[in-house]
Amino acid sequence: MVNMIRGGRSYVSSPPAFSNDAKRLLVCTANTVSIFSTSTALQTSSLEGHTAPVTTVIVVPASSPASNILCYCWTASLDGTIRYWDFSVPELLKTINIKIPIYSMVIPYLLGNEKQPYLFAYVSLKVTREIDSKKHNSGQICKCNLTESRLVGGMTLAETKVPEPITISSSGKYLGITKHQRLSIWKVPDTETERITLKKITLHHTKRMTVHAFHPIQRIVAAGDSTGRILIWRGFGDKTFTSDEGLVSGKIPSNDEEKPGVRDNDDADSCTTWHWHSSEVNVLFFSSDGAYLYSGGKEGVLVVWQLDTGKKKFLPRIGSPLLCYTVSPDTSLSSISCADNQIHLLKMPSLEILKSISGIKFSCSLPEEYESFGSGVAFDHSSALVALRTDNYCVQFYSLFDDLGISEVQVCERNHQPGDDVTVVVTLVALSQDGSIMSTVEVKLAEEGIGGLICLKFWASESQNKKFTLSTIIYEPHRDARISAVAFHPTRRVAVSSSYGGDFKVWVCNDELEQKDVMLQSSGWTCHAVGSYKKKAITAAAFSADGSILAVAAETVITLWDPDKNVLLAVIGETLTPIVTLSFVGKSEFLVAASWGSKPQLSVWTMSKLSVSWSYMLHVEAIACAADLSSFVALALLPELSKCQESIGTNFQGKDGVILLFNATDPVPVATWSARKAKGGALAFLQVNPSSIEDNISDGKLPQALLAYMNGDHEYVLFDPYCEEIHELNVIPQKDLVVPEERRQFGYASIYGELPEFELKRNQTLWVPSVPSEKPWETIFSGSSHNLPPLTKLCSAFLESLLEKRTAAVE
Amino acid sequence: MAEDLQLQSHVGKSFPIKPKLKPKARTLLQTPESKYWSSFKPHQIPNLVSSIQSLDFSPNPPHLFAAAHSASLTLFSSKTFTQHSVINSFKDVVTCSSFRSDGSLLAASDVSGLVQVFDVKTRTPLRRLRSHARPVRFVKYPFLDKLHLMSGGDDGVVKYWDVAGESVLSNLLGHKDYVRCGDCSPVNAEMFVTGSYDHTVKLWDVRVENSRSVMEVNHGKPIEDVMFLPSGGLLATAGGNSVKIWDLIGGGKMVYSMENHNKTVTSICTGRVGKEGGDEAMQYRILSVALDGYMKVFDYGKMKVTHSMRFPAPLMSVAFSPDCMTRVVGSSNGIIFAGRKKKKENDEPVVRNFWSLGRVEEHRKPTLRPSYYRYFQRGQSEKPKEWDYVVARPKKVKLGEHDKLLKKFRHKEAFVSVLNGKNPENVVAVMEELVCRRKLLKCVSNLDNEELGLLLGFMQKYSTAPRYSGLLMGLMKKVLETRAEDIKSSDALKGHIRNLKRSVEEEIRIQQSLQEIQGIISPLLRIAGRGI
Repeated sequence: MVNMIRGGRSYVSSPPAFSNDAKRLLVCTANTVSIFSTSTALQTSSLEGHTAPVTTVIVVPASSPASNILCYCWTASLDGTIRYWDFSVPELLKTINIKIPIYSMVIPYLLGNEKQPYLFAYVSLKVTREIDSKKHNSGQICKCNLTESRLVGGMTLAETKVPEPITISSSGKYLGITKHQRLSIWKVPDTETERITLKKITLHHTKRMTVHAFHPIQRIVAAGDSTGRILIWRGFGDKTFTSDEGLVSGKIPSNDEEKPGVRDNDDADSCTTWHWHSSEVNVLFFSSDGAYLYSGGKEGVLVVWQLDTGKKKFLPRIGSPLLCYTVSPDTSLSSISCADNQIHLLKMPSLEILKSISGIKFSCSLPEEYESFGSGVAFDHSSALVALRTDNYCVQFYSLFDDLGISEVQVCERNHQPGDDVTVVVTLVALSQDGSIMSTVEVKLAEEGIGGLICLKFWASESQNKKFTLSTIIYEPHRDARISAVAFHPTRRVAVSSSYGGDFKVWVCNDELEQKDVMLQSSGWTCHAVGSYKKKAITAAAFSADGSILAVAAETVITLWDPDKNVLLAVIGETLTPIVTLSFVGKSEFLVAASWGSKPQLSVWTMSKLSVSWSYMLHVEAIACAADLSSFVALALLPELSKCQESIGTNFQGKDGVILLFNATDPVPVATWSARKAKGGALAFLQVNPSSIEDNISDGKLPQALLAYMNGDHEYVLFDPYCEEIHELNVIPQKDLVVPEERRQFGYASIYGELPEFELKRNQTLWVPSVPSEKPWETIFSGSSHNLPPLTKLCSAFLESLLEKRTAAVE
Repeated sequence: MAEDLQLQSHVGKSFPIKPKLKPKARTLLQTPESKYWSSFKPHQIPNLVSSIQSLDFSPNPPHLFAAAHSASLTLFSSKTFTQHSVINSFKDVVTCSSFRSDGSLLAASDVSGLVQVFDVKTRTPLRRLRSHARPVRFVKYPFLDKLHLMSGGDDGVVKYWDVAGESVLSNLLGHKDYVRCGDCSPVNAEMFVTGSYDHTVKLWDVRVENSRSVMEVNHGKPIEDVMFLPSGGLLATAGGNSVKIWDLIGGGKMVYSMENHNKTVTSICTGRVGKEGGDEAMQYRILSVALDGYMKVFDYGKMKVTHSMRFPAPLMSVAFSPDCMTRVVGSSNGIIFAGRKKKKENDEPVVRNFWSLGRVEEHRKPTLRPSYYRYFQRGQSEKPKEWDYVVARPKKVKLGEHDKLLKKFRHKEAFVSVLNGKNPENVVAVMEELVCRRKLLKCVSNLDNEELGLLLGFMQKYSTAPRYSGLLMGLMKKVLETRAEDIKSSDALKGHIRNLKRSVEEEIRIQQSLQEIQGIISPLLRIAGRGI
């Protein structure tokens, strides 16, 4: 039996966390926490155990540099548990079940204060109450005793309409939440007991505040609001918090006039406002020395503010709205999470992107008229890749087996501005059977009727690495009519594009045409034939398995053509509503068509009788046919009637679709599975490559084919549809990508490569023992000068290391 | 490493505005062969008197060539195309000339019926061969034969001469009309062909006693030129507007008839393509010139015309130098259209001192010391070797002024700046980008009168160009709608509108006449299609 392979999860739903040595990044991925190596940006292991999405991960900081290697973390999840892990192994150490979904958690004195017997956490919970027999959700900030594994009763700090994320200052002294136009700040007492009351102040603003951050050293809090302004309160809580600290601030309580910018007699010295962002601020973070403030928002630009002067520096064109910003204990490394499911690792002072943890890109936001366009997903059946259109006019290639973004192809060379209206859309992506040719369709929407453009592009890749290069651009292939489908010939370099304008064109690659002719050196695609049927809009097209027949759907009629001679062979009967998808069932004589609209239909046609074989009244989102077998799967959306669900009697919680496996000869489905978020989903049969999945086979029997189902959020699952046991859908952990952990090189080694071994050994005795430092550059040459190896020795090694470096680069 | 680069490349990358691509011709504009033929740098030798009857290259370097025009024969240098010397001792129009195989003697015939042999160096007539009663039309030295000559003329007799004795060895009779041309076999000194206005080409062998032709082929048209192809087994004849290739060994069968010329083909010669010692071995081509002013290059291996060149005058003669560096075409109005290939430096024969081979060491450059200025510049201009791993500097994206302004979202400034530029493609590209940003109409409404004039001027110039009309016509309507008030109030703008109106009317006229033509053609096409 083949296990199910899941993947395509969101990496950016919650803020990630760095391990203490900054070599690993802990990312909340749905029900698990995935651990990525920061040097390779590949997943090394995962923490599994939560049964609902994980919302918070907190790494226990190291108290001294020596304990850097300690790998403990706390996680909180919507399943109402808080867990304590050793993530180096990885092993679950402790589970605290508080039975209420946790949206956010902070732990003030995580280092373990000797004075305190208990470790407390503050959690933001989603509390469900029944008022008037209606379920009423609200948020609550509570205190939780982690040592004794229980919620501290009666300690509700605040109630909110929705669960709000809690932030904490890096020293752990202050907690804060934003409640609409108010920012509430609590001071955590130095010695915590269960019943101690926390002092609270509230700062007011006139706009909804979205995010806030505490200064690491001074008493400064910054908040961003929905209009893009950044407010900075200095000396907040002078009155309230300092009184019992024993520290005399030396300031005479000032009058209102001397508090510039502070509203409503709030407890702060001053409030300054910065405005650069044009829409709401999502990211705010102070640098660890407190000199800079990082902010980001929908524009996809990371802004670095010099706190004293307000001067700005930018990291522009990240290409996607920023969601959160995390610094590592190393301070030279940080990460930003973007809304397109990418986590970029930044080298700190220079803001240079070192690596990107590339998750599957989410489905595009499309203007409404284009929403009927299908999911823009194409599968490469042989190498188990999926090509997805993305917001920034790219096509992302994502490996389904490795759960890893492989490459991106820039379809339209245009600067993407995340906040703007969508005016350029990649509407279609199609891949040939062997995955070597890609075709994309992009649409530029017109401004009041001028400047619209439709572009069909053909791409070719030489090798398996999916580096596609542009082969041909065709402007306005069907005049100004939109393209409904692009289909590739199964064996030859021939493609067909169909348009709503009433015609379809057969495109042929030049090397297909005249391979011997030396005159044609550039390979490009040219139009071979144009066909139309009664000037009806062509809504779908498909080649048969051997490529001899081209099926074209002219609205409700299916027509069969000879693609070479461009001759109409036959017309098969009509459906009720326009056909959206056409597909030949493997090598059999059957043809499947799905139509949408008021009377949706899934119909199977026989080619021998040219008539309908059987049909269902179903809204089918996607169809996939196995290459050799006479079976196909259809993803059907369930009708939105709750009664219907009840009458079915099965548990369809949150599931809005069914995957039906049919044998084309038989209208009774062979197998069914229910699916979540089926709207916008996609299906595909993948060829089984023994080497890629052998780790997942327990009894050594290869499945005939794997079925891939990708839902509207681009989460996917791979399984063997012909396997009986699969119905229980047991999730067995996927084989982790074990990546040899690279040792990061610092200083001398990072510049010149490592010194040869013998040199090190010889000189070890000579060196004065020095304090272990992060930077060998300093340690190698520390010590008195007479202890250093002679220059002649160093020189040869130095040169040798240069040579070695060069050969490594060549590889 | 490369993969990482690719993954990151989408972040922080900015794209300049690019105009739409232009469609590329499906066939290459220049095949390698036509590239070869157009690589001859053109040079005209004007002002020769009357038409150039014949052109012939000396077989010896430096390959002088003789041009027969009027009553003189001019020798030109094939390197510089300057006049080398003129032979003027003719009483009448010179018809043909031929260099001897060693290039030291030159035979020339004229209309008076005289054949003269000159020393090329001194230009003195050494022998006068007088026997033809009518104008002599061709004279030729046989292959590698220094003692004999062939000639033919309007009297229909072909004569085989002993040059030294100024005597006719044999009179070859058989042609019923003017003999206009002939060629000697490139493999045999005794075989030759002649072509005549009686439509036939006769193959002669002087060893045959009875002075009868060995073989005869009928071209079907009066023959203007005939030649052996380098193998000696094939024959090419030019007559009428066709060039025909005949297989002599196969008994005079026609191999192919090339009918690409529109008027009479006047002269043919062999040319060669390809580099000596290159991947492509030297291949022979037939160069033919005709009165239609075209020179065609015919590949008789593939039976295909591989290149054709047009000259502004009817062409009379063609020749191709034996070193493949020069081709000359003579026209009927006294202009020689010459062409010479540029010589590559490495083609120069390297004169190498045999004895220096062993002493290369001595010529080594002096070692650079820090006291030299060059010491500090050493290696800076070093070119990477084939095996070196080149760390490429990241390419800098070139941003135009409009790109920079667009990056700052200063849309109107960008629009105006690109309108001030020269490139209409960029203007349209910026317009398209503004459409994508939904800012074009706003920009238009923000333009002041002067800038609006700029836009209208652009529109007038380009809105009828098919590449841009799709966008510009729609935009023009919007501009006229939104800015009607401003246009009415300004005379300069009104002028622009008048011009625009005129060009639109012109375009409409063109479209109408095109439609008329289409109306005429489409029934014809329909009928043609039915015929198939």
